[in-house]
Amino acid sequence: MSEYEELAKYEEMEHQVTLTEKELLEDGFGDTPFYHCIITEIQGQNSSEDPKVVGFAMYYFTYDPWVGKQLYLEEFYVMDEYRGLGIGSGILRHLSNLAMKTRCTGMMFVVAENNEPSVQFYKRRGAEDLSQEEGWRLFRFDKDSLVKMAAPSEE
Amino acid sequence: MDFSIREANLDDCKDIARMIMELAEYVKLAEHVKVTQKDLEQDGFSNNPFFHGIIAEVPEQHKTKEGHTKIGYALYFYAYSSWSGRAIYMEDLYVMPEFRGKGVGKALISKVAQLGLAAGCHQLNFTVLDWNKPSMDFYLSQGCFNITATMGYHCMRCEGEALKHLAQL
Repeated sequence: MSEYEELAKYEEMEHQVTLTEKELLEDGFGDTPFYHCIITEIQGQNSSEDPKVVGFAMYYFTYDPWVGKQLYLEEFYVMDEYRGLGIGSGILRHLSNLAMKTRCTGMMFVVAENNEPSVQFYKRRGAEDLSQEEGWRLFRFDKDSLVKMAAPSEE
Repeated sequence: MDFSIREANLDDCKDIARMIMELAEYVKLAEHVKVTQKDLEQDGFSNNPFFHGIIAEVPEQHKTKEGHTKIGYALYFYAYSSWSGRAIYMEDLYVMPEFRGKGVGKALISKVAQLGLAAGCHQLNFTVLDWNKPSMDFYLSQGCFNITATMGYHCMRCEGEALKHLAQL
């Protein structure tokens, strides 16, 4: 969980993380996984030390009815002290490979516009900003609104 | 007006493909559509579906002049938020023009909300084009909020040559 807390802190939104470790376990490793995860580990100085997790990515498969299967990158993080070593590129390479092997036509994700380092990281690698280029806006209904919408009509 | 909402099956793919094209034309991006009826059948109705569908149907007496009784649809799949957990993503929501304003869109999105809640989802996400005011107004009236505006989130994609390059193939 600490990696999530670190990422949330990075995006200055830690108060918005409500997901628990128990839910993560059930949702990713139960009968119907909602997501998949890859991790980057480095071996410690001594061979007796456990490898240390220094980066991870969370992804799942989505569908664009115009062009087909997509690999959706939900979360992608490398610990501060391990950046600039090619770990991030390695994770992206692994995921892009996986996307192609599973016949996805694209890899999609969301970036906060004020996150300059990430925006540049992705644009350098050929990512298109669909919000800017085509005008797509991401909308959300939270739990309370969902419950209201799901209720039978009064008409 | 009488209409019914139900889960889509394999036989609906012809009408889903037709309405996907109508929706793409409505948002002026028809040239982007590459998926065929056969792709939909394979990708949505095999052992490992990548999406699910809901169809809005009218009785025979209300069919269109071309003979269509399937007059609206929604496509959705399950997603995941690393902060809030299970989510449902509504990829498409469409009602044929002559059947709008009669509660069909509301009924379709209500069904998606029901299915999402039944699966333990905490949020419903989707995208809208910034110039599509009728759709934006409809969604905002149902109580959603614009994450791109409030949190600055932009939707990004890596495809084609950029994807190949990333994979270093």
